[in-house]
Amino acid sequence: MKTISFWLIFSLILGLAPACSNKENKEEKKPTPDTTTRINIPVNSINPYTIVDISPMDISYFPADYPILKMEKTISTLPLARIVYSRPHLQGRRLFQNLLKYDEPWRLGANESTELELYTDVSIQDKKIKAGRYVLYCIPHADTWTVVFNTNTDSWGLHPDPTKDLTSFTIPVKQTTNRLEYFTMVFENTATGTDIVMAWDNLEARLPIIFPVK
Amino acid sequence: MKRSILCLAAIFISAVLYAQSLPPVDKSPMDMSYYPNNYPVLKIQDKLTEPLVARVIYSRPQKAGRAIFGGLVKYGEVWRFGANEATEIDLYKNVKIGGKKLKAGRYTLYAIVNENTWTIIVNKETDTWGSFKYDAKKDLLRTQVPVQKTDGPVESLSMVFEKTATGMNLVVAWDTVKVTIPFNF
Repeated sequence: MKTISFWLIFSLILGLAPACSNKENKEEKKPTPDTTTRINIPVNSINPYTIVDISPMDISYFPADYPILKMEKTISTLPLARIVYSRPHLQGRRLFQNLLKYDEPWRLGANESTELELYTDVSIQDKKIKAGRYVLYCIPHADTWTVVFNTNTDSWGLHPDPTKDLTSFTIPVKQTTNRLEYFTMVFENTATGTDIVMAWDNLEARLPIIFPVK
Repeated sequence: MKRSILCLAAIFISAVLYAQSLPPVDKSPMDMSYYPNNYPVLKIQDKLTEPLVARVIYSRPQKAGRAIFGGLVKYGEVWRFGANEATEIDLYKNVKIGGKKLKAGRYTLYAIVNENTWTIIVNKETDTWGSFKYDAKKDLLRTQVPVQKTDGPVESLSMVFEKTATGMNLVVAWDTVKVTIPFNF
């Protein structure tokens, strides 16, 4: 089994290597390309206006892919929730061996604090949460994570201000069989509403949100 | 041997399926700019000197060797001013753009680019995708701004606010051009 995967990778590399060198040779023989329409700038070159973040920002909606559904006109109701967060990546590190410490606040993202926007009132673990924008952060423990709702919006993720905590919810965390390079937050449908799924490395936690019936 | 190959294929397919079940990292990463600049950092450092006025959330396509304006972005057509989800501006106070009032709230931004001027469009249809189903009936205002050259090529679409005597500008730069959109408040 191991030998097969080795040979598979080896032959892939062998197959790619000549393809790459051929391309380079061809490019050398070509006349100078028209520089007015093709300028090659390294992706990480300094941007004088605002740099491109190493941990890119992303947005997740509930219902999932709401903006696409709205564009396609397959949905006419308002969105129920969305999360704006930045996505750090492991880059060879392990989550709790190298990056995070148990019992210390973790910003559930990077850069600007992670923002949950509720478009309607919801209930979580029998507590009512009003529509609005909240900062989410987490205090991870070995078997559970405490997800904190905080009102200090438009802030930076580091050093959340506990005097502005609204409420918190403790949820179980489980191990997954596959590892995720990028931190991921996404909504998944449930019978009573949605789960906020938080997954990174080989861990996954879910915060169930119940949408009250109107 | 055959069984091993089948087994390998199964592992490969399941790995691909798992990778598809959670969203991948976008090719055009999303970003956020505030006015005052770096508002979130200043806020946690207790260094704020001005109240929060605006933030823009947009995705940042890259030039990647392509001709952008007049090429990828066609002159005279509505451009989504970003990538993926429609570019969004949150205004935390009432402002004026080109002499027209705009109330505090959340809006989407689009642009019609031409060689010398861009028309900036403020539209009220939020939480949507790109400009593919852009609806001019939902426009709140349009304003024209002149195109300027940048000092050097800009690889990723960039949006940043700057302070002015009468409020702020939203500076939008990509490739070899930029525009400054004045907001008065």
